[in-house]
Amino acid sequence: MVACLLIPGFELRAALRARPRLALVPAALAPEAGEEPLLGPVTAAADAVGVKPGMRLGEALATCPSLVLVDRDPAAVEREWEGVLRRLEDAGFSVDPVEHGVVAFETRGVERLYGGVQPALERALAAVGTTWDPRVGAASRRFTALAAASVARPGQILLVGAQEEQGFLEPLPLSLLPLSADRYAELEGLGLRRLGELARLPAGAVAERLGVEGRNAWGLAHGGRKTKVRGRRPAVELAETLSFPEAVANELTLRRALGSLLERLLARPERAGRPFRKLAVAARLVDGGSWRRTLTLRDATAEPARLRAALGPKLGELTAPIVELRVEAVELAEHTGQQLALVEPAGEDASGRLREGLKQVRASTGTGSVCAVVEVAPWSRIPEARALVVPRDA
Amino acid sequence: MGSSAVGRLNAPRPALVEAGPGGAPKVVNREFVTLVREEWRVVDRWWTEDPVDRRYFEVVLESGRNVCVYRDREAGCWFAQNA
Repeated sequence: MVACLLIPGFELRAALRARPRLALVPAALAPEAGEEPLLGPVTAAADAVGVKPGMRLGEALATCPSLVLVDRDPAAVEREWEGVLRRLEDAGFSVDPVEHGVVAFETRGVERLYGGVQPALERALAAVGTTWDPRVGAASRRFTALAAASVARPGQILLVGAQEEQGFLEPLPLSLLPLSADRYAELEGLGLRRLGELARLPAGAVAERLGVEGRNAWGLAHGGRKTKVRGRRPAVELAETLSFPEAVANELTLRRALGSLLERLLARPERAGRPFRKLAVAARLVDGGSWRRTLTLRDATAEPARLRAALGPKLGELTAPIVELRVEAVELAEHTGQQLALVEPAGEDASGRLREGLKQVRASTGTGSVCAVVEVAPWSRIPEARALVVPRDA
Repeated sequence: MGSSAVGRLNAPRPALVEAGPGGAPKVVNREFVTLVREEWRVVDRWWTEDPVDRRYFEVVLESGRNVCVYRDREAGCWFAQNA
């Protein structure tokens, strides 16, 4: 079975870890700087007084003048989320993180270990911990599992059998579908409120009226495709941190600090000579907030000058003086070096370079982004029957 | 959600088409058709539960773009596809 573990409002919960008292008062995650002033997730106390996620800031403050706006803390979110994933991995689950607060995994590999689906999912909930209020949905298809997790109560496990999937999805709201606000409005205008109402329409008519997005939504309303969950490769804990005695905003000082952190990171024995494929630079801001940027290098490298040149410009995006700077190795390459050649690479050498390039693309764009075209019926008169696009994640 | 499923290459995309009295496209995705270069039919899999009955048109639009569209006679709607 495919299971989906959900922690609603994860970004707010992670930001509130350092200020737990705010969890009990009306509070909401502040809108992102430079974006539309729409609220992020809200606490239960805020929800009780009528403040909803996605509400305009002005409207929310008019509804609840005592509403506390919690600054976004991307570094804490990343750290806490990595902690959740690692605890699940330690319990034996091969996880595929979807976004912060949503992770999918297969139960098949651990069912015998824990004595069935239900005990395995109970173990997953216990691994995450009750403080996060996780909930789990499990079904034979990924979308159904996610839908089940979305309607489950905190700490609940909702199992949906293969025969019950369609009946389970029918009464659920359309808001579970990954659609843009305009599309929701269009569907509501057509009088559609439930997944079952959309699923009952003819596929052709939905595609003609709502385009590809609508067609995909129609497919999901039928449960979506049966896809395998590909677990991520567990990340290496390789990071270096530098704390400043007082807040720093000077670019020269920041660049020197970055250079020093990179040297320390390069000297770590766990690296075993492997170059970096993906790095993250994070900072704790003077006002208590945090900042984080990730960067996939064009070629995996361990050259300090190239790393400084790639990461240095990111420091210009800092929004406030900082009191702590951190560099993390998000992903390392497998090889330990690359011999340059005088002649054009060919044969095994060229294939090796191509494989390395594909890994680089995958690190930058995520699982499922690299595909191969496989001809299945090149003689067919139906164009889409001639070839398939198959993800290559190996 | 991650998109790691097997997909079809050159899958048809829904198109907005206004057809003339003979069934040939006049407007494709809000662009006028200046020339219909070719027209053909594909009838296949009629012995299955998922038959294919399509009328393809290769047209040239006002902007000079070549586009291939077809009317699916089973579903009764238009799609664009590289044929």
